[in-house]
Amino acid sequence: MRFAFLLLLALAVPAPAQVPANPAQALKPWSGGATPPLELTDVDGKVHRLADYRGKAVLVNFWATWCAPCREEMPSMEALRVAMQGKPFVVLAVNVGEGERAARGFGEKMSLGFPLLLDRDTSATRAWSARVLPASFVVGPDGRIRYSHFGAIDWASAEVRATIQGVVR
Amino acid sequence: MDRRAFLKSGVAASVAASLPWRSALAASDWHTYEVVTRVELAFPKGVSRVWVPLPMTDDTEWHRSIGTSWSGNAARTQVLSDGKYGASMLYAEWREGPATPQLEVTSQFSTRERTVDPSRQNPDAERLSAADREFFTAPTEYIPTDGIVRKTAQGIVKGSRTDVEKARAIYEWVVENTFRDPKVRGCGWGDIKAMLETGNLGGKCGDLNALFVGLARSVSVPARDIYGLRVAPSVHGYRSLGVGTPNVTRAQHCRAEFFAQGRGWVPVDPADVRKVALEEPPGNLALKDPKVEAARKRLFGNWEMNWLAYNGGHDIALPNSKGPKLPYLMYPNGETGGERLDQLDPDAFKYAMTAREIKA
Repeated sequence: MRFAFLLLLALAVPAPAQVPANPAQALKPWSGGATPPLELTDVDGKVHRLADYRGKAVLVNFWATWCAPCREEMPSMEALRVAMQGKPFVVLAVNVGEGERAARGFGEKMSLGFPLLLDRDTSATRAWSARVLPASFVVGPDGRIRYSHFGAIDWASAEVRATIQGVVR
Repeated sequence: MDRRAFLKSGVAASVAASLPWRSALAASDWHTYEVVTRVELAFPKGVSRVWVPLPMTDDTEWHRSIGTSWSGNAARTQVLSDGKYGASMLYAEWREGPATPQLEVTSQFSTRERTVDPSRQNPDAERLSAADREFFTAPTEYIPTDGIVRKTAQGIVKGSRTDVEKARAIYEWVVENTFRDPKVRGCGWGDIKAMLETGNLGGKCGDLNALFVGLARSVSVPARDIYGLRVAPSVHGYRSLGVGTPNVTRAQHCRAEFFAQGRGWVPVDPADVRKVALEEPPGNLALKDPKVEAARKRLFGNWEMNWLAYNGGHDIALPNSKGPKLPYLMYPNGETGGERLDQLDPDAFKYAMTAREIKA
């Protein structure tokens, strides 16, 4: 394979410090390919398969403890989870390349109520082309990706919540 | 070349024990590093733009990108690629305003020692398509493959039959005939035609390894430069081949590879041989100095991976810029008020880069 891959990577993202003037627009409708598989173990050893969440909307978020904008957006993601309680919606936060201790410590410090999955060898991250962190994908109840966002976003904003609720229905 | 072969073929055993590379191949494990680039434009005028090179996106047996994140006050940020070489960069743009443009880019990546024995066939070696062979023997703006470049290369490889023999002859010629010139700004821009025409064969990695690549391409040996950044000390005992502090703002370094059937891409670094000769204590070592000889043998087939690989791009047109093409993208670039900033002057630009190893 040619060392220089010819794929033009052009991910338009708002800068973290400016987000989100209009967060509804910041969630970009997905125009990419099929949903990659996702099967990872969380910090408690439980296996999560994306396919098992069919019928629910899933926010798949790729993050790392060293990623400042990831840390910034996490509380709003937890706020979204709380706001959506009782609805068919889950958050799967995939830690990129770090260990169980780092991810667990981060989750406890942040008081996060959603599972923290471990992608130790970053194979899932590569499959989802999520090299720019944070990278988020909103997967519909049918298993298809509906929206994506690269960079931090205020997940608790009314606009983003409305978009997510549109996927849940 | 494995370690045993290296010791047998190179220096007398009694000398070898005291040489660098002595623990060379023990380090086959992956190491993870973090590089942080901080940019702050001190005197913005009108619209400001910055391009920061990002780690190579292709995973290899010796380099894997983990991820990149950024923060700052830019109005717009994008991850872009040059499209031809896949040179990945973070683009940030600030509209006119009172704020000081600021950007911090953090990347993590893993590397491990890379050794290819060019004397041995590898049945699993990567193959090169005809299109790729053509791509990696083509000229670039600064690396022509005709005229004096080809004429010089033809003289060097006379009598060589295989691509490995040709590459070896060119490697030895570069080591024998060039020198590291510490007065060259940055890493040198690799204007190899001018080097050969003037007979001034002094330069740094951007010059000397480009010379290797151009000479190889001109005799139909696929070759390429890879631009990157040193991020850690050398574990082989060469002070000149690593960085001793977390500050890596000026630690850019480019390397070279050639392709040989049945071997795949073979790492080489003749420029680092000349760096060892110039900089290893007490300095200005002769090529026959055991330390230089050891490096010379080793660096035909080996890269120590205390180094971040960015890309192998040439003649890079920065997206959204009307400024001139870059010979390569290895430094943060910027412009403000329509004027390009000096990428080789981080204190005025200004930018700073730090690196650290992430221990499990």
